[in-house]
Amino acid sequence: MTAAHAHAANDPRPATGARLVVDALEREGVSVVFGYPGGAIMPVYDALPGSKLTHILVRHEQAAAFAADAWARVTGEVGVCIATSGPGATNLVTGIANAFMDSVPMVAITGQTASHLLGTDAFQETDIFGVTLPIVKHSFIIRDAADIPTVFAEAFALARSGRPGPVLVDLPKDVAQASVPFPAAEPDRASVHPFRPDPETISAAEAMIAQAKKPVLYFGGGVPIAGAEEALRAFFQRTGIPAVATLKALGALPTWWPGYLGMLGMHGTRAANMAVDGCDLLICVGARFDDRATGRLDSFAPRAKVIHIDGDPAEISKLRHADLAMAGDIRAILDALDPDTVGIGDWRAECARNAVRWAMRYDAPGSGVYAPALLKAISEAAGDDFIAACDVGQHQMWVAQHCRFARPQAHLTSGGLGAMGYGVPAGFGAALADPSAKVFVVTGDGSIMMNIQELATIRRYRIPVKIVLLDNSQLGMVRQWQELFYAENFSEVDLSDNPDFAEVARSFGIEAFTLDRRADVPAAVERLMTTSGPILCHVRIDPRENVWPLVPPGKSNAEMMEP
Amino acid sequence: MTTRIEIDFAPAEGAILRLVGLIERRGFEVVAMDVPPMDRARSASMALSLRARDATRRIETLDAQIRRIHGVSDVRHRAAPAMEAAS
Repeated sequence: MTAAHAHAANDPRPATGARLVVDALEREGVSVVFGYPGGAIMPVYDALPGSKLTHILVRHEQAAAFAADAWARVTGEVGVCIATSGPGATNLVTGIANAFMDSVPMVAITGQTASHLLGTDAFQETDIFGVTLPIVKHSFIIRDAADIPTVFAEAFALARSGRPGPVLVDLPKDVAQASVPFPAAEPDRASVHPFRPDPETISAAEAMIAQAKKPVLYFGGGVPIAGAEEALRAFFQRTGIPAVATLKALGALPTWWPGYLGMLGMHGTRAANMAVDGCDLLICVGARFDDRATGRLDSFAPRAKVIHIDGDPAEISKLRHADLAMAGDIRAILDALDPDTVGIGDWRAECARNAVRWAMRYDAPGSGVYAPALLKAISEAAGDDFIAACDVGQHQMWVAQHCRFARPQAHLTSGGLGAMGYGVPAGFGAALADPSAKVFVVTGDGSIMMNIQELATIRRYRIPVKIVLLDNSQLGMVRQWQELFYAENFSEVDLSDNPDFAEVARSFGIEAFTLDRRADVPAAVERLMTTSGPILCHVRIDPRENVWPLVPPGKSNAEMMEP
Repeated sequence: MTTRIEIDFAPAEGAILRLVGLIERRGFEVVAMDVPPMDRARSASMALSLRARDATRRIETLDAQIRRIHGVSDVRHRAAPAMEAAS
């Protein structure tokens, strides 16, 4: 029985719709919600005090959605964000889209103008149900307060089941204020029966793998979503098949394991891309042949047959024909597969040689801070508890390329949507989700300005995130593309009038310092590790630094550019 | 070439918008649509004739994408006669 129910049992008065919302969240085991109050959602905020829910007051609704997203990724539970109608709801949209693109379980609750005003262009009325249709797994407008328990039970079940995603619940103010009897019973919950592979398909897959001379294991974000990292690790270890990861799967295999070749794709390692280019069998697990991973699709793994294993049947053969497909429980499928791979020794040796030959280098000239080396050092110092919450840009790719990851969902990034502004709120969402983790926000001078107001949230709740701000006074990734692909026509990328970020952080009450010499890196890393509270390290880096290697747009992954 | 697709679904608020929107977003043009009167208490159905906007769009993929929409209970598709698309 929840607290609200316990109270209701001794209280003959009817509850309000808002009380039922809070009760429904408690029933689902929600402990933390991220939000921002406003007119239409005020009844829910009126019902929050005294509940079991901890509300984190952000300073912009987009941050509530991003923080809930990171909370969900780290805990594996459903993240919850709350906003009012109109601008509050539309400010959630980028975060909802982010959760949709990256398959993150989320319930977004929006206040709405009263039912009789809907469709009249009332104050702060926006059709958020319509606005978000393309970017939600499902959505509800609650018309009757009596439906609240059932709708919320369904919303949470939908958000977390199958391929997870965001579910929007739009709550008109009159519904939230309505008196309604407390439901006597728990609402029905749909049971989920994940598909398990049939033995014949497993045998066929094992035969394909056994016949392959040059197999590659290509795994993606579907692995951590399915909680299948242990199954993946066991499959990798018992087969010895060389493996490559997508951006969203980093850490599903420890990044230092022999045979793991790194991230593939546009900014992947040459060893990973060349292994895929040369393979005769591609075992795709929880990945979706995203264009950033494949480069030019018709030249991706051109000689390979494909086995596609995914939790979502709609991904099978969507972009690349699968010669054999298994849609269902990724864990069960990987556990069932035990192919004979004794004949791939030469291939493994070739991949291992290439990994050494094309290993990343850290001997950059000069005395300035070399960002890849700094990030590598931070991740190694933080150890297995390291979590990086990234923004989007060059720094994001450097983290993916150079950091050590020991566990899945340790690399929190806006992978599908590529939303600048994700890093800071994702960082505090992750830190609240796992207080034992060493959470670093890695951001750029462009990205941090998209949600810099959230430094106030970090300060308010004293959340011990470490912010590493790589400042090249430019929109670095855009500048890099203008340099390489737009004949150095640098257009609107100059950010040299940035504020002094260390002073900005201090003005929010956050400890901060500036790092601009390579010789000071060890001391800076030490300070970041030993500071108990939040801290910002403002790092000035060479504005001409690029992310290498790089697959040019429209090219094959085998055609990587080097400096 | 057009494809006729029939969708059985729960007639919840926004269901038709959700289905047609998905079809358009996934690269198919709706060239005809038939929606019989709906009884809110029961399952509804609609039939559409679709044309892919480019050669990379597979009706089998769209079928699977529609099936994962909450409330959809069945999807059937078959090649449609050319005349039907013009109706």
